[in-house]
Amino acid sequence: MTKFSERAQGFPWPFAEGETDFRYSVNVEPARVRRTTATGGWGEHLVDLGGSDYTQLMQQRREVIAAHPERRRVLPGMEMACWDLLLYYLRDMAAAYPESMHLGEEGKNFHWRNDLLGTDQAFTFGQEESLPTDPLTFLASEIPDDLVLLTERDGELFFDAGLVTFAASWSVSFNVGMSMTEIHGPVPRMTAEGMTRRAEIFMRQLQPGQAYRRLNWSTSKHRGERLDTSLETYREWESEIPQLVEEEDWGSLQLRNELQHFVRLPMTGTVAFAIRTYILPLAEIREIPEWRDQLASILRELPEDLATYKGFGDFREEIVDYLAQPADSMG
Amino acid sequence: MTDQRRLRVTEVRSLCPEIRQITLEPLEGTALMGFQPGSHLILHAGEHRNAYSLTGDGIMPSRYTVSVLKRNDDGGSAWLHQHLAPGSEITAEGPVSMFAPVHNQQHALLVAGGIGITPVLSHASALAALQKSAEVIYAYKPHRAAHVDQLREICHSAGFRLTEVTSAGNCRKALRDRMSDQPVGSHAYVCGPMSMLESFLEIGAAAGWPEYRLHLERFEAPELDPGEEFALRVSGSPEDLRVPVGVSILETLESAGYSVPNMCRQGVCGQCQISVRSAGSLEHRDYVLTEEEKAAGGSLMVCVSRGTDVEVAL
Ligand SMILES: Cc1cc2nc3c(=O)[nH]c(=O)nc-3n(C[C@H](O)[C@H](O)[C@H](O)COP(=O)(O)OP(=O)(O)OC[C@H]3O[C@@H](n4cnc5c(N)ncnc54)[C@H](O)[C@@H]3O)c2cc1C
Ligand code: HEM
Ligand code: FES
Repeated sequence: MTKFSERAQGFPWPFAEGETDFRYSVNVEPARVRRTTATGGWGEHLVDLGGSDYTQLMQQRREVIAAHPERRRVLPGMEMACWDLLLYYLRDMAAAYPESMHLGEEGKNFHWRNDLLGTDQAFTFGQEESLPTDPLTFLASEIPDDLVLLTERDGELFFDAGLVTFAASWSVSFNVGMSMTEIHGPVPRMTAEGMTRRAEIFMRQLQPGQAYRRLNWSTSKHRGERLDTSLETYREWESEIPQLVEEEDWGSLQLRNELQHFVRLPMTGTVAFAIRTYILPLAEIREIPEWRDQLASILRELPEDLATYKGFGDFREEIVDYLAQPADSMG
Repeated sequence: MTDQRRLRVTEVRSLCPEIRQITLEPLEGTALMGFQPGSHLILHAGEHRNAYSLTGDGIMPSRYTVSVLKRNDDGGSAWLHQHLAPGSEITAEGPVSMFAPVHNQQHALLVAGGIGITPVLSHASALAALQKSAEVIYAYKPHRAAHVDQLREICHSAGFRLTEVTSAGNCRKALRDRMSDQPVGSHAYVCGPMSMLESFLEIGAAAGWPEYRLHLERFEAPELDPGEEFALRVSGSPEDLRVPVGVSILETLESAGYSVPNMCRQGVCGQCQISVRSAGSLEHRDYVLTEEEKAAGGSLMVCVSRGTDVEVAL
């Protein structure tokens, strides 16, 4: 028995042991390596199904896809890259979760079964009519990650396809076709400090089939369980944080963490960028002494421009104070 | 570093004197990874670790094929010719992709000389499979026309054209003729002997091809100038090393007990790349980094490149 919730146990804590201040860096490392944390661990597999919430998460994802077809954008010429992505991920999942995921292969004919979701689908590689949807939508309905594909043109990487339902206040329709430099324009310091360039060099040097990962954190732009905080639904969530601030309900503010994977797809050389989103309310973090103290110290120290960009510039002191109060004194 | 794995030889076929095609399959039921056209495998051939281009189109392959020209009597290519037969096993790394087609190209001009046909065949097969267009020039010695039948068949596809030449003079003529007659948006690719690469660059420049539309695959690199002696430091280590005239940074690091990944030791394979912390100056002599990466100075191919007062991070 453990005292931590399932989502706290699997939460990929974004800070290294002993880290007390935070700056952006090209913080990439090889994927598929398990890390242990104060509550449990994460990172063994490329795709994290999560725990008992997997089916519910995929339900949420499928609803967003059905209601918002504009969350999927595929520029012309990216069809083969989408198949490359589908096959890479299905093979990976069948190897990672042999008890529930199965991929039969015979030449270009495949049979995918996902026992957890009840998917049972035969298809022929490269033939869209053999799947109920296009390959990108098919994959996005099986895994909780948002998916972006980048191709190289004249030495730069461009966002040429994606299916994104849980974006942190950005949008596929807005970013599709953009270069890495254009996409990262709003991020303070990033391009000016040469990080965009280094990130790009890193991605261009990935070898076929290689997978790397990085973590990215911020505070969430909403209060509830929903993960869909895309720009498209801005109207639906814009008032949630102002209201939380008014009620001084700091325990409901959520740390929003993205586990991002980078894979060089073997047949097309496309770079796949997959984003798995996790949220954990400060109320839960406050129960975990190592995390509470570290987060308080990092939030306190973070320069103003980064705090504003990450979303807590206006109430930084309040949340630091909240984390500093022992949970039991609050009753 | 790329992953290593054992593969089984299922066929060895003589294509012409000195060139053998080797077919490799996975040991048991596991699938082979697909690859981009122009990729190569690194084969462990006795004492040697050599690169060999994959000749297939790379789309969902059930087997890998490479064609090896025997260069001399004691190298890795000779080892492969002597030791491999159906049923043998071999250690391979990769596929590694360093000669990939440009994603948005409208049309490709593919030029091959001799054994340089291997990556060109891969490009041509993939373009034919995707129903794109290409023009191919293949220069060969009449008794060493490896893969010519396969190439002719591919070039029967709609949108393809093949020019075969059998002398250096005719090859230059074909390059002059065909490089000045390609549609807008074309990219040109070449693999062959050094003299052919030079002609390709020279004729391409004269015909107005910008550098970023010309793509070269080098199986070997020219002899390098021995350079000057200079100081080398490894971050975190107190001792200063000297890199002597005619000795590479890679060899200097190896003699000092460091191990650095490497393979070709001639600046073409990209395995020995190392981060540079600081340097008085850098002289990049490799064919791997782009001009932009060389100018940025963040890393160095230590098998060939030199500099002054270089500090590297291992
Ligand atoms: C990307 C790429 C793709 C290639 N594709 C093909 C192909 O499809 N078919 C094919 O036949 N060949 C191909 N080659 C060439 C192949 O890798 C070998 O170089 C060739 O077979 C000769 O190797 P060898 O061991 O027989 O000869 P060797 O005599 O051992 O070496 C050949 C050259 O490599 C240099 N060299 C090798 N090892 C060392 C070392 N330890 N220190 C210093 N110099 C060294 C030597 O200077 C010499 O010039 C390719 C090479 C590259 C880089
Ligand atoms: C190694 C590679 C990368 C690094 C180091 C990196 C780094 C960052 C950082 C530090 C931020 C700010 C996040 C925050 O503070 O919350 C950011 C934002 C973002 N990144 Fe990246 N990134 C990388 C790759 C990518 C890729 C491949 C894409 C997809 C195309 C991408 C898309 C975005 C987007 C859309 C944002 C939000 C920008 C906005 O506010 O409008 N990133 N990135
Ligand atoms: S060892 Fe091949 S580039 Fe240096």
